[in-house]
Amino acid sequence: MKKFLNDPQQFVSEMLEGLALANPDTLKYVPEYNLIMRADGPDQNKVSIVQGSGSGHEPAHVMIVGKGMLDAACPGDVFAAPPFDYVYETTKMMASPKGVLLLVNNYTGDKMVFDMAQEMSSAEGIQVQTLFINDDVSVEDSTYTIGRRGVAGNFFVIKAVGAAAERGADLKEVIRIGEKVNSVTRSMGVALTACTPPAKGSPLFELGDDEIEIGVGIHGEPGRRRAKMMTANEIVDEMLTPIVQDLPFSDGDRVALMVNGLGGTPISELYLLYGKAHRRLAEQGISVGRSYVGEYCTSLDMAGASITMVKLDDEIESLLMDPAEIPIRVF
Amino acid sequence: MTATDLADVEYVVHSLAQTAVDKEKEFGDLDAVVGDGDLGYSLARGFEKVLHDWDTFKRDDVATFLQQIALAISSRIGGTSGPLWGTAFLRASAAAKTVDTIDGAATVAMLRAAAEGIMARGGASMGDKTLLDALVPATDELDKQLAAGAPPAECRAAFAKTVRECADGTSTLQARRGRASYSGERSIGSPDAGAVAIAIIIENITGGWDKR
Repeated sequence: MKKFLNDPQQFVSEMLEGLALANPDTLKYVPEYNLIMRADGPDQNKVSIVQGSGSGHEPAHVMIVGKGMLDAACPGDVFAAPPFDYVYETTKMMASPKGVLLLVNNYTGDKMVFDMAQEMSSAEGIQVQTLFINDDVSVEDSTYTIGRRGVAGNFFVIKAVGAAAERGADLKEVIRIGEKVNSVTRSMGVALTACTPPAKGSPLFELGDDEIEIGVGIHGEPGRRRAKMMTANEIVDEMLTPIVQDLPFSDGDRVALMVNGLGGTPISELYLLYGKAHRRLAEQGISVGRSYVGEYCTSLDMAGASITMVKLDDEIESLLMDPAEIPIRVF
Repeated sequence: MTATDLADVEYVVHSLAQTAVDKEKEFGDLDAVVGDGDLGYSLARGFEKVLHDWDTFKRDDVATFLQQIALAISSRIGGTSGPLWGTAFLRASAAAKTVDTIDGAATVAMLRAAAEGIMARGGASMGDKTLLDALVPATDELDKQLAAGAPPAECRAAFAKTVRECADGTSTLQARRGRASYSGERSIGSPDAGAVAIAIIIENITGGWDKR
């Protein structure tokens, strides 16, 4: 497997260094703790929003640090929870009189680290709360998690709480919004190929040339089933049906619809999937209020895509529409 | 709080750390039977840092000392061992804060706080085939001996004997937490690596007590 790589052990730090150099006015990099934070942070007049997770899901989460979204992200190594002291030191560094909200995707290792960081930071008088994101409908339990996994839907939770914090909401209100968005967000993914972690150098799992994994996790964890390759339209139905049935979404609902690339799929294919998903929802009387097509939460170089739906109301839609200034801007 | 209290707690932590470093391979081999074999490595790296930083820890009182240990361990140990062992020390530290002297009753309270912390953090219950299945009954036994007025040496001996028996007894359990749980029924027949590790650690602590 060919990759742009120097030393696999330095993969994350070299990426973070590049990110900081590309955004000198807006981002600050603290190498000791893999910390990427807003250069003007922490803002003492707002709740600090911090996300931690393993690396390998870029742009999540280091590239969505900026005004209106995250105040900081502290990633671990590829697909590994950040070490406890990274989270603890980040929390202390991001402390604000209005409090700190730690956002975490629901994986066992991440949960333990963040729970402990919250306990220890609280003991030092920092006002800090943790919110777990679990939008994946494909399986209830998985390799690294007990309960549902957090996948690309975390983008919507981050966007909404980021906007609310920017507007000046207090910690309790920010948490209410985060929990509300998480409760109406559902996702499911399909892998066409496995991904290759830099330190491993070979594919993380075996997937035959004519096979796909339906309901795959963002670390390549098994999903609902392995199937023979099928058409794009059929794959959209495989993802959309469980999502719609799960919440459930129904006739008259207005939604945000995201087609997220998992890292190795061209944008052209993502729009092809989006078109089918949009039409399929319209047939069911579900209208798309806001659409998102591109890479939001990836799995290194995995070819594949996930669909996320968020049930909109005026409050959520308004928060999603607020401006944000983050490194993955395209202008 | 007396100087003797702190010296005894220092002895316990130092003995624990030394055992974790010395037994890296043995603990790893135990874990490899049904787990992913990283227990020995994780503990050794974490407690290696404890020994390395030994002289730098603040020693204002037992609680402060234990909190520093918690931070050192969990900063270094990856996976789930870091937060679990870190939480154990953090909760023991909180329990130590509420007492004037570290006597038998305080020791039991600290052990219980540590076990409850591990339970809460890991979501594990008794019978899940974890180190709790050795640590909790041994703490109960220690509590019982203290209540009966047994001399300290007998209390320590009963504590060590029970932790070993219960660790060996985890062979009959099926793993329901941690990586070993993925092997399901295959985990029956081998003791839990964490439970055996805690037994060896406690045997070394009690065995070396008189020479501390």
